[in-house]
Formats: sequence, structure tokens, C-alpha cells
Amino acid sequence: MKSKSPPANNISERTYRTKNYIIASGYISDLPVAATNYYYIPEFMTPSRSWQSFLEETGVLLRFTGRFFSQCFRPRYEIAEFLRQCFIIGYRSLPLIGLTAFIMGLVLTMQLRPSLIDYGVESQLPAMVGIAIVREIGPVIVALIFAGKIGSSIGAELGSMKVTEQIDAMEVSGTNPFKYLVVTRVLASTVMLPVLVMLGDAISLYGSFLGVNIRGTTSFDLFWNQVLGNLSFGDVIPAFVKSFFFGFAVGLIGCYRGYYSTKGTEGVGRSANSAVVISSVLIFLIDLVAVQITDILGLN
Amino acid sequence: MGNTSVRNIKLGVFVLAGLLFLIILLYVIGKNQNLFGDNFQLSARFPNVQGLTAGNNIRFSGIQAGTVREITVLNDTTIEVVMLIKSSLKKHIRKNALASIGTDGLVGNKVVNIIPVRGNAATVQDGDILACQETFDTDRLLQKLAKTSEDISDIAADLKITMHRISNSKVIWELLEDKSLPENIRTSATNIQLATAHARDMTHALNLMVTDIKAGKGSLGAFITDTSLAANLNLAIEKIRQVGDEAYELAGNLNMTVGNLYNEVNTGKGPVAALLKDSVMAANIANSLQNIEKGTTSFNELLEAARHNILFRGYFRKQERQKKKAR
Repeated sequence: MKSKSPPANNISERTYRTKNYIIASGYISDLPVAATNYYYIPEFMTPSRSWQSFLEETGVLLRFTGRFFSQCFRPRYEIAEFLRQCFIIGYRSLPLIGLTAFIMGLVLTMQLRPSLIDYGVESQLPAMVGIAIVREIGPVIVALIFAGKIGSSIGAELGSMKVTEQIDAMEVSGTNPFKYLVVTRVLASTVMLPVLVMLGDAISLYGSFLGVNIRGTTSFDLFWNQVLGNLSFGDVIPAFVKSFFFGFAVGLIGCYRGYYSTKGTEGVGRSANSAVVISSVLIFLIDLVAVQITDILGLN
Repeated sequence: MGNTSVRNIKLGVFVLAGLLFLIILLYVIGKNQNLFGDNFQLSARFPNVQGLTAGNNIRFSGIQAGTVREITVLNDTTIEVVMLIKSSLKKHIRKNALASIGTDGLVGNKVVNIIPVRGNAATVQDGDILACQETFDTDRLLQKLAKTSEDISDIAADLKITMHRISNSKVIWELLEDKSLPENIRTSATNIQLATAHARDMTHALNLMVTDIKAGKGSLGAFITDTSLAANLNLAIEKIRQVGDEAYELAGNLNMTVGNLYNEVNTGKGPVAALLKDSVMAANIANSLQNIEKGTTSFNELLEAARHNILFRGYFRKQERQKKKAR
């Protein structure tokens, strides 16, 4: 691709940036994208090489978020597409997330047991695993798997639509591509991740119950009572609320990377990849903020 | 589209399952914290709540009965704990029940134990205040333990000194190591046994003797049992009394004589007074003494003269030398 863009070398740095801003300002659909694609590589699409480009990319992302919210509450609502996306993003992710969560619960239980035996509090194993899963491991592990599966798929899907000019075609045919593609996907992932986290927690706790019973014997009633007896609203509600933000981050980053995908098939791959990387990092950042807020609210 | 509706049903089931789990979770937690269902309030006032916080469990005779709703400080020595108790337990908790703060397990959360007390009392009403029972506080227990261990260490130190002295004492070790000691002890024991046997024989003999004496056998028996002896003894005692009387008379006579003599001396009659009061005789005696003094002086001179005599000089010189030597 680079070999095909000799004019890019003649464009001054200033012009380069100006064009960059034009793209970033949300008028992308008004520009002859296909033509510009050949001539320069927008800097914010490449790995950040400086603070300036990092801040630039953050700004673009914020504008994208603002655009999402402005489009989200305006009719017309793409209900059918939203439900279809919910099915794909939520229901289709359940087997993968269920498996991961089950293994996580089982392994965590078996790994914790020797330490608890050392302290003579083996009987507290269900309580400890329960708190660990519900508070932290459930939401974060599920969100990471979700980012890997959904973030990359959205990034790749939208990226390939972008580079094959399907988005432009949609525009021409009178459909609002942002509403149809971005808003539905971001909303679907925002709503579906908390549901997946809840089901993941349940499966994970079941895995943990089996893990407890591999070495010892605990009735399901006792396990259930011990887990729930040690949980409080302060454990469940913050975890549930933060999983909405995780879902939103994954959907938004996937759409953003896909929507601004360039450079053909190579760009699609890069979009999918960076969508996963950035959303994974964002999940941890949100987790950090969430724990601080929970602490301030006194729910810890 | 049949395909779409099937998908929507699956999606609905999926979402409902997730929400159901969330709701069950929240409901059970709320139930554990007595947020739903019938409750009533009880209070207890403690001097020290030992780290109890709102949300801790209440146990009535070991049964989960509710949770701590809030803890307020009434004054510097009184802290009020407001408890939410299940209404179903209202008819079992009586007004004389005691509240105490304990621990769930050895290192678990704090709990409030409501302990029923024997005796008739009305059942509690909403808002009643229960009496508190002083429970063992880990801190105080540890303090006591520290005191005890100090005492033990003191005792151990004393014991150490004692043991040291015992082990350093030669006498005890000699005693312990003395192999002849058991033999001696055995001999002593045998001797004691023999002595006991002798004593027993002696007692027996004495017994026999006493019996004999009682029966009037032997000299002592005769002495004790002889009736004529008593009459003789009476006679002898009578004689001794007569001698005493005579001696008394003699003393009276003597007294009279001395009295007479005394009178004579005072009045200047009789030979004794003459001897004492005659001035001529006193002069004579003084004269005689003067003569004796004179005689002694002359004799001294004579001796001095003899010293210087050639015959006796050697002797005196020798005497002087001996004196010097002795010094």
C-alpha cells in the first residue's frame, strides 16, 4: 500500500495533520475516503508514537462516544437489529464464557485450598471463593473473554465493511450506518455483558462447588449458604454495575476501531487486534476506577 | 420469520436466566440481612462493643436471629447497640435475657449473643433494652495471661535458685550417695523394733509390778499397804513439831538477851559500855599505836644502815639488777 502512495511524501506535516483532523471531526462520510486511503496513513490509526498522537486518538474516541450518545436517543430505533446483535453478542458467547467461568471457579477453588488448609480455615473455602468470584474474578474474566470474542469480531466486521465500502453504500441507500451498525452493537454489548457476568458467576460458583467436593464433602445447601451468607449488597451491586461499563467499553472500542479501519484487509486485522488490546486495557482501567468509587461509597 | 422468533426466545431465556440469578442473589443477601420480612427492634447497652459493627449477626441461643442495625455512643461508658430481630422469635425472647458480645468461631466476626435466663419474665416488646453480660475480652484475657506468666517466671527464678542450691549442696548428695545409709537405716529400724519390743516387755513387767504393789507384795507393797507405818510416821512428825517449838523458845530468849545488851550500851551501864565509852583506855590505845609507829621508823633506819653494810650490799645490788632485767 505504501508503495502506491507517492503523493503522501510530498504533503507537508501540517497538511497531513489538517486532514487528520478533518477525518477525526466526524465528517468522514463526506470525504472521498477511498481516494484518501491511497495517499496517506492517518497517524492515529498506527500505534501511538507520541503524546500528541495519543491525546489526538483519545479526542477522536471521545467524539465517537459523543456521537454514539447523540445517535442513541434519537429515532429511528433499530430494534430488530439490536435484538439480532444481542443474540449474537450475548447468547452465542454463553458457551465460551460458561466454559471459562466453570474452569475458573474450579481451578481457583483447588488452588486456594492448600493455603486455607495451612491457616486451618478450610471450611471458609466456599465463602472465600464466592467473594472472589462475585466481586472481581467473575466480572473481569468474563469481560476479558468477551473482549476477545466480541471486541475482535465487531472490529473485524465493521473494519471489513469499511474497507469494502459497504458503509458508504449504506449511507447512499439512505440508512444511517452509525445507528444501524455502531449504536446497536454498543448497546447490545453493554446490556449483554452484565447478563453474561451473572450467568458466568453462577457457573463459576457451580465449578467451585465441584472443586470443593473433589477433595472434601460439602452439601450444595451448605455451600450455597456459606457463599451467600458471606456476600453483601456491597459485593454484588458494584460488580454488576461495573460490568455495564465493561460491556460498553468493549462494544465502543470494537466499533471505533472497525469504523475507522483503513488500508484494506491489513487494516481489518489491525482493527480487530487493537480493539481487543485497547478494550482489555480499558477493562482494567475501569476496574481500577470502580474499586476506588466503591471504596469512597463505603461498599467495600 | 420463524428463525428470528426462535432467536428472540433463546435471547429472552438467556437474559431472564441472568436476571433471575441476580435477583436470587440480591434476595438471599437481603434476607440474610433482614431487609425483607417481619422484624422488631431490641437494644442492648454495653460498656465496650469490641469492634462490633452494623450488619453483624445476632444469635439467640445459637440460632441466627437477626442483625445489628446501628451502634450509637450514648456517653463515654455506654454504647447502645440496636438490633433487628426476626418477629418469629419475639415470643421466645424474655425480658430477663442477657446480651453479650462474642466471636463467631475463634477469629471470626463479632456476634451479639442473646442468652435466655431461667425464671419467669414477660416476653420482650418492640424497643426493649436487654441487660448486658460482661464477657471475656481477649485483651483482658491476654493481660491476665501476661500477669500469670510474669508470676510463673518469678516462681521459676526462685525455683532455679533453690534447685541450684540443692544441687550444689554436698551434704544432700553425700547423703544420697552414701551406700551405707540404707544399711544404717535398716539397722536403726531393727533397733527401734528391738527397743519397742523391750519397751513392751518393760511395760509388761511394770504392769505386773503395779499389780503386785496393789496386792501388797514386796517391800514397796508392804510400805504402801502397812497401816502401823502411818502411826509411826505420825509420832515422828509430832516429835519434829516439838523440836520446832523449843527452837522457837530459844530464839525468844536470844532476842531478849540482845535487847538487854543494847539497853546496857545505850544507858552506859555494864562492862560493854565501859569498854566502849572509857576515854582513858582510848588514850592508852593511841599511845601504844604511836609507840609502834616509832618502833617501825627505827626499824626502817636500821634496815637502811644494813643495806650500806658491806656484808649485805652484794645482796641488794643483785636484787636491783634483777628488777631492771624484769623491766
